[in-house]
Amino acid sequence: MNDSRLSSGHQPLDEVLGGGLPGNGISIITGLPGSGKTIIAQQYAFRNARPDRPVVYFSTLSEPLEKIIRFGQTLEFFDAAAVGRSVFYEDLGQVASRDGLTGVGDHLASALKQRRPGLVIIDSFKALRALADDDAAFRAFLHQLAGRLTAFPAASLWVGEYEPGEAATAPEFAVADAIVDLTVVPLGQREKRFLHVRKLRGSGFLSGRHGYRLTHQGLRLFPRLADTPAADGYQLGGHRTTTGLPGLDAMLDGGLWPGSATLVTGPSGSGKTIMGLHFIYGGAAHGERGIIATFQENATQLNRTLSSLGWPAANPAVEIMYRSPVDIYIDEWVHELLESVERTQARRVVIDSLLDLQLASIEETRFREFMYSLAQRLSRQGITLLSTYETPGLPGDGRLPEFALSYLADNVITLAYHRDHGAMSRTLAVTKARASRHDAAIRPFIISADGISLNGGHPAPGRPDQS
Amino acid sequence: MRFEEEMRNILGADASLAPPGSPGGEELPASRPGASAPGDVPVYSISAVARMLDVPVATLRTWEDRYGQVVPARNASGHRLFTRSQVEQLRFVRAQMSQGASAADGHRLLAERVAGGGPLADSPPRPAPRLLIQLAEADPYAAEFEEYFLKTEGFEVEVTLTEDAAREAFAAAAPAVVIVEVLISGGTGLELCRFFRQQDGVAIVVVSAVEAMDAAIDAGADAFLRKPLDPLQLVSTVRDLLRSSALVAGRSRR
Repeated sequence: MNDSRLSSGHQPLDEVLGGGLPGNGISIITGLPGSGKTIIAQQYAFRNARPDRPVVYFSTLSEPLEKIIRFGQTLEFFDAAAVGRSVFYEDLGQVASRDGLTGVGDHLASALKQRRPGLVIIDSFKALRALADDDAAFRAFLHQLAGRLTAFPAASLWVGEYEPGEAATAPEFAVADAIVDLTVVPLGQREKRFLHVRKLRGSGFLSGRHGYRLTHQGLRLFPRLADTPAADGYQLGGHRTTTGLPGLDAMLDGGLWPGSATLVTGPSGSGKTIMGLHFIYGGAAHGERGIIATFQENATQLNRTLSSLGWPAANPAVEIMYRSPVDIYIDEWVHELLESVERTQARRVVIDSLLDLQLASIEETRFREFMYSLAQRLSRQGITLLSTYETPGLPGDGRLPEFALSYLADNVITLAYHRDHGAMSRTLAVTKARASRHDAAIRPFIISADGISLNGGHPAPGRPDQS
Repeated sequence: MRFEEEMRNILGADASLAPPGSPGGEELPASRPGASAPGDVPVYSISAVARMLDVPVATLRTWEDRYGQVVPARNASGHRLFTRSQVEQLRFVRAQMSQGASAADGHRLLAERVAGGGPLADSPPRPAPRLLIQLAEADPYAAEFEEYFLKTEGFEVEVTLTEDAAREAFAAAAPAVVIVEVLISGGTGLELCRFFRQQDGVAIVVVSAVEAMDAAIDAGADAFLRKPLDPLQLVSTVRDLLRSSALVAGRSRR
């Protein structure tokens, strides 16, 4: 009982909290209006409601109790039968305005004695501060309340619309055993919600910002994908596997290493998506299941492309995971992808394109960490990854995105357009191939009804042919 | 006076119980407070159980060896620690025996009752008489709750918050149970426990936020409870320790 944890009923949230909020501690949930504090508090209330250890939900001076309950009923976990039996809603506002903080303290103490709750929620706790004549009076109230709550075997959840930065100065944060921040970060025209564990006494937790959505099932959290490097290091499989293009396989000294990550860059329309389709369907022809994770083309558009290439749209060895690039949380997306990989036992994954994931990331460092973790995850399972990334379409602009040069890509294939006597021509070059001798030539190719066909080639200017 | 002789026998038997550091904890399910329901937490020393049930310590040990049915956990120094449900089971055996059954029959009937999932107690426990419980607490907030919950159950409660006040009140009022916080007066709770242990027949519950089960039992406590105290567990521990009418008689010093 003493070291128990309070479950939210939502496993990802409990995982981020290292098992749950402290079962006998004081936890503070902060966030600006609209961040979902009350939803999360009600989630904990109904999850932990037991007739012998009920939950007491105190509203204070910020929101009328009736409003909290009326809104609560729109949530799926709200159980009207539990109200008055194992969940008690009480209005502290009246006591507060009549008898001040002393009255609030006495009322809470008598509620502990009479209800013997397992969880006490105070929403909003911040509003209580306005009742104190001065800082010293509020600190004295806090000291007494924390003393009472510590002496009683109950968890306590204080909800407050604290501003970022208040945690450093507001005295309630010093007595808290856990602090969970809900923040809303603007990204372009949209907003993204993040949960961040700021403090959790006596337990580990998953650091960093974790995206979440508010739904009728409550808060749905997407724990940040952050894999540490594998202890056994990087392992590439024993036999090379085809890119789906025999000509390209030859340039790569026989194909790709299983578990490797390949980046295909090039301007819009240069053939990146089709190269990804060759990779997936070429693998499927050799019995390797694959997943096309695309933000670029929905199923209809993709089927049209496939049928123009003469590939059957419904291939049992290929799964198409289309998500709109609008309003995605990269960690929500990646959990869906990893779930599909596990379910289908896929050996190959195409991501079309990384730019969509990069734009959905709130910061560049997070995007890099995310891609590194994903590449590690797949590589450890021997799953071969091919990602596309769009570069500016200027001919001759061979600059690679910065991350292409790092550990994120074992191989980089650059597609380009060239103006050739007034006509456009396409070229392909292997600009990086880790652990492989590769053909450094720039080779022309055409896209026809059969897809990509490589012609002969000429050596890359100024670069010795390494093969 | 027969009771006091028996008490001395029991305490003597307890003192020569398992030698410190004796093995025995490993193969038993080590249920510690923290994960289990209040009834499954090992709380009571064998001498406390002996007094509660009016069964000699040696007999309890013989039953454990012979029938292997009520097997207490052991603390680090090898002392037996019984849970509340184990006390209930032994109480059931005792009740069968008082109706003429042998110890073997009593254990057989217990096995059947446990396997059938039936309740062990045929009648609800008698309401506690108005006995005096003394709190030797360190934390006024904890004392506030403990006083409230014990009074709600019909006990008289005397609250003391320092070691000196605790000794004084004990001498003046002869409580049936003392609840001692390890950290009273900066940490003299175990010393206080040893002092109370030398007095006639008072039951001692040591409480602390730190896991001090071993130290408490070594200091002569009948039971140890970890804080924060669950109201039900506090009240039922006090009730269990008072269940033996002989104990109550033994404490009537007035």
